[in-house]
Parts: sequence; C-alpha cells; structure tokens
Amino acid sequence: MSSLRGWGYCQLGLVFFSNFASLAGAANAPHTALKAVERREVKRPIDDFSLTDQNGKNFQFKSLHGKVVVVAFAYTACPDVCPLITAALRRVQTHLSNDERKNSHLLTVTTDPEIDSPMVLAGYARRYGAELGGWSFLTGDEATLQSVWKNFGVGVKRKARGLVDHTPLVAIVDRQGALRFAYTGPSPDVKLMLRDIRSLLPDG
Amino acid sequence: MLLAACGRSERMDTLYAQRCRNCHGPNGRGDGPIAVALPTLPPDFRDTVERKSNPQIRRVIAGGKGLMPAFEPALSPAEINDMLQMVRFLSREGRQISWWEKFDTLVVAHCSIPWEAVLGYEDPPVEKKL
Repeated sequence: MSSLRGWGYCQLGLVFFSNFASLAGAANAPHTALKAVERREVKRPIDDFSLTDQNGKNFQFKSLHGKVVVVAFAYTACPDVCPLITAALRRVQTHLSNDERKNSHLLTVTTDPEIDSPMVLAGYARRYGAELGGWSFLTGDEATLQSVWKNFGVGVKRKARGLVDHTPLVAIVDRQGALRFAYTGPSPDVKLMLRDIRSLLPDG
Repeated sequence: MLLAACGRSERMDTLYAQRCRNCHGPNGRGDGPIAVALPTLPPDFRDTVERKSNPQIRRVIAGGKGLMPAFEPALSPAEINDMLQMVRFLSREGRQISWWEKFDTLVVAHCSIPWEAVLGYEDPPVEKKL
C-alpha cells in the first residue's frame, strides 16, 4: 500500500515534496514554474464521514457506496491552483456520459471552513457551472474536516483569513469505498482522470 | 467614501503578493507562474485597468471573474480597496511621459476620490483628443 505521506503542498503555485511536518516551511517558497502533477495508484479504505453540502443539507459519504467518487480538496478564495483543479473537475463532469454520471459523483471538500459556508460554496459551484446532481461541495466544522483531511492524507495550514496552504489533492475512490488513484499537483490531466474513473466503473 | 492617495503601501504589496501575483505577475503584466496553465491569460493591467471604473474593478475583485476567485467575504472592504489601488498603481507603473500628459488631471482626481464621486458617473471619461 502506498503511503500518502511525503506528497507535496500547494503554495503559491508550487508543489513541494516534503512531509507534513515541514508544511510551514513552504510559506516562503520562491516563484518558479508550475510543477507537474504526480499520479499515484493506491488501495486504501476511506472512512465514512458526514459533512454539509452547498444547500446546507447533511451529506454522508457512505451514501455514495457503489459509485466511483472523485474527491478534490480546494477552497473558494484560493489564489493558487484550486481554480485549475475545480476547472479540471468541471471538464471531467462534462465528458462523462449519462450512464457514467449515474455511476459516479464528484466532491469538492473545502480546506477553509472559516470562509466556505454552504452559501459561499453554492456561489462557487454556480460560477463553475457545476451540475449539482452529480457534484457536491462540502463544508463542516473544523474538527470534522480535520479528520476528513487526515483520512485522505491532506495537510492543511491556515496562513491568514481566506489564505490556506494545503495539499492539492484529487482522489478517485472506487465503488467499494477504497482510495485508488491520487493526483497531487496544480492541474490534473482530464483524460487521465477519465481513464482512471472509467477503469473503476461497472463496465470498466 | 475617500480613498487614500495613490501611493503603494506595505499592506497593498502583501495583499497583492499573497492573492494576485501568482496569476497577474509581479507587475500586473499577466505573467505570473500560474498564468500559463490558465485557459485564458490574465490581462496586462496597463491595457485594461484605466478604462474601468473603481466599482467595476471592485466588482471583479469581490465577486471573481472566470477562474479568478471571489475575494469577498474572505477580504474586508478596506482590503478590497487596497487591492483596487494596487491594481491602479501597477497599471500606471512605467508609463511614458506622453501618457501622463494625457491623463494627469484625471489620475490625480481618482487617486483622491472614486471616479463616480468626482465625475458623477461610474465610467472614466474618454481620453482627451490632442
């Protein structure tokens, strides 16, 4: 089983390869070109969790059992790579066929619950043209989110109001609830994600 | 509401470095490290900002545009004003003397107070014909 530790952190458009303990060290990173996205194949069960969606309704992760779930970690005021990640998810959703959409679901889990209320997330979803039947934007209290972030191996460090360092992770979870593919980096390849999603679908 | 004069403060620099520079670049030329990955390159402030009113720019900063995030409610109105002034500052940096000769009166006016308060409407006036 591959460990999620040792992945990079997103900070000012860069990906750093460090462990969680050195997250704070990313704060003064120099500006260079964007790093490539790292794709990993893993197999690790994901614990159930309960959060609140963009409509203010309770969301239970296990309700998606039987579907392939794409989980992205981002926050709405992110001036870094989150917009690229959310745009990539939008393209994934656009390219899935109706049958594929029935058997899959997208999740965006906030890394900044202080700002990202359900109302703020609803506005964010609208701006990206998300089709909300198959895409939920989730928030919750800090403690619950901490356990979700930890569950997926996402490091989060608040720097200022509306400014958060976090692992730029997009994870693909299979129909049995196990994490199978993990992309870390600024702009995951949509074709590759579609291929991985389809490999986990019933006819994949 | 009065805006401070068109200086450049440390707070503006910090805000810009933290929230704008990745895409807009260090001098607002649209050449930040993330710019190349965006579907559309961010504009060069020198080409676009002078034609926009303060409320128009403030709306973009607060509500976002395209992939640019909405900075409201994360930032306070004062911080959004600081960002607005920084954008104005960068749009004027490195201008030729001829540009300042055309715009100097107007620049002084809207460095002191918003366009709409001085001129009675939101959009800046057209360039003077020589």
